[in-house]
Amino acid sequence: MEIAVLVKPVPDAETRLRPDAGGSGLDPEGVKWVLAGYDESAVEQALLLKESIPGTSVRAISYGPLARAEEVLRFAIALGCDAATSVEQPAGAPDDPLVTAAALHLALSKRAVALVLCGKQAGDDETGLVGPALAEMLGIAEYGVAVNVRWDAASSALTLQQSVEGGLVRVRASLPAVVALQQAWNDPRTAKLPNILKSRKAAIERMPASEVSSAIATVQALAARRLAFRLPPPRTGAKMIEYKSPEEAAERLVRILREEAKVFP
Amino acid sequence: MTGALALLERTAGGVTSASREAVGVARTVADGGAVVGLLVGPGGTGPASGIPVDRLFTVEGPGLTDPSTAQYAALLSHAATQLGVARIVVPGTARGRDVVGRLAVRWAASAATGVTDVTLGEGGSLRITRPVFGGRASETLELPGPRQVFAPKPHAFSEPSAAAAPAPSETIALPDGFDKLPTRGAEGFEPTAGSKGPELGEASIVVSGGRGLRTPESFRLVEDLAESLGAAVGASRAVTDAGWRPSSYQVGQTGRSVSPQLYIAVGISGAIQHIVGMVSARVIVAINSDPQAPIFKVADYGVVGDLFPIVPALTKEIRKQRGLPAGPTGSGPG
Ligand SMILES: Cc1cc2nc3c(=O)[nH]c(=O)nc-3n(C[C@H](O)[C@H](O)[C@H](O)COP(=O)(O)OP(=O)(O)OC[C@H]3O[C@@H](n4cnc5c(N)ncnc54)[C@H](O)[C@@H]3O)c2cc1C
Ligand SMILES: Nc1ncnc2c1ncn2[C@@H]1O[C@H](COP(=O)(O)O)[C@@H](O)[C@H]1O
Repeated sequence: MEIAVLVKPVPDAETRLRPDAGGSGLDPEGVKWVLAGYDESAVEQALLLKESIPGTSVRAISYGPLARAEEVLRFAIALGCDAATSVEQPAGAPDDPLVTAAALHLALSKRAVALVLCGKQAGDDETGLVGPALAEMLGIAEYGVAVNVRWDAASSALTLQQSVEGGLVRVRASLPAVVALQQAWNDPRTAKLPNILKSRKAAIERMPASEVSSAIATVQALAARRLAFRLPPPRTGAKMIEYKSPEEAAERLVRILREEAKVFP
Repeated sequence: MTGALALLERTAGGVTSASREAVGVARTVADGGAVVGLLVGPGGTGPASGIPVDRLFTVEGPGLTDPSTAQYAALLSHAATQLGVARIVVPGTARGRDVVGRLAVRWAASAATGVTDVTLGEGGSLRITRPVFGGRASETLELPGPRQVFAPKPHAFSEPSAAAAPAPSETIALPDGFDKLPTRGAEGFEPTAGSKGPELGEASIVVSGGRGLRTPESFRLVEDLAESLGAAVGASRAVTDAGWRPSSYQVGQTGRSVSPQLYIAVGISGAIQHIVGMVSARVIVAINSDPQAPIFKVADYGVVGDLFPIVPALTKEIRKQRGLPAGPTGSGPG
């Protein structure tokens, strides 16, 4: 079977965030684009499933400006994905999860994909909407906040858990389905140097902007318009509690929480 | 079009606090129209008593004890179309967010999650603000009309005061083709191990411990402090990686994101991957022996010192101030 894994290029966690000139988005100047955190988990999960289900191949798919999308796709290939599709973002297309879902839907509707893996949310906009929106477009089931995903060969279904408020829900998921991963591995595989070098030359299937434009035409009317991108006022550093004994530290802290911060229960 | 529909998510004996928050927000965006609650599945209208909606819709049917997100989306879209409302507010729980994504497509609405502020915009639009980049920045978006669906961020809005009288309730029928939708396939529920207190994502106070606690046994100090405050317990990845506590405790980039009113970090250095999971807390307190620890850069209040005498003293003081019996109970009803 074919597994698709959706990978989004997002700014590296160390990026110093700055509003752009218009003040409505992130200034992309000097940003290093990497695989979104949960998408790394999605890739790891896809590769683990591939190893446990004979005859399985993994295709990484990314939507965005071409250079960015292909950068993360090559990384996914270096990690072990078999193939990649880059869906080119048309110039001026809004950054909106519904538009993204429609663009990814174009790539997926052309193939018989049994399982779509994605991250529970991307580290930049954190909407968590792309997976569920895509599932609705495909008319298939979707399982969010998934952990411990396993293949049950006997029933040809996935078993997984959903990490919801207060605990874990055990689920048996038949395919096709979209699974959005919450899980982060403590030790996801790293790419080996020869594979990194090979991935530089790997063929990447392209969906050109012209085709994407018509696929996103209708949802584009729903896209949110970005009005402002703001950084919080810089935290000025902690106000340090002066004390001579642990008891005094405790008393002072409680007094501050009650009288100044007003958060004492 | 005015009016707003709010999904009421059932939980044992009631509805989730996120549902009550959703009703409060629905009032803001109803633009003078009616606020309608939708309660799905068996269990009667009891859980909605006291919830200040103007009308209550209930729907029952086979398999609706635990609906799939596809079913929720179909029911909400059906109800909203029947009522002619312009907006749907979905509770900001883990599953609520999935409903938003499906519903936006099904109902052809603009959509957002993690909303911390919302006002009515021009021409039927909504102007919303939401944190991005793990709370390191925020964005303001205009969600175009005529239809919008969104989920508030937990705790960003207060719960509305209870209604004096129950709202008139009506039942709605299942939409056509409902039986063809994907179902949930849930087989069981395992409560988070050892969680006596509130759930991490829902708690208004979170106390987290890090490697500074040195051993799994002394992590108990953090749990005692949390208990004295009625708080949820979190941990840094150093703690979950070492197996001192399960990974469900982990706060950060690869764990849970929390935005409580108060976050207390004990023996946590404040690596960026931890910070992105808690920086949107309203008030942050750090206890750490290293005055240079990066956690103090994001904290509002800091105590520099050895956690081992300070944390028990703090627990004791809090119990005293709150009139709780001295010393943690450790057992009994939490
Ligand atoms: C891809 C990736 C993802 C990650 N995701 C996460 C994540 O989601 N969440 C997360 O937390 N981390 C995450 N990490 C790990 C992160 O980088 C840090 O290693 C981790 O947060 C450190 O945990 P810590 O603060 O408990 O331990 P340390 O960094 O070892 O800090 C311990 C602190 O305790 C203090 N201390 C020691 N003794 C005492 C004492 N007696 N009294 C008071 N203070 C004391 C020390 O001064 C120190 O500041 C991630 C890392 C990577 C690479
Ligand atoms: N541009 C994109 N290309 C590929 N996958 C994406 C893209 N945007 C989002 N996704 C997937 O959808 C998940 C949720 O993203 P988001 O809705 O942006 O929070 C991500 O973790 C990815 O797996």
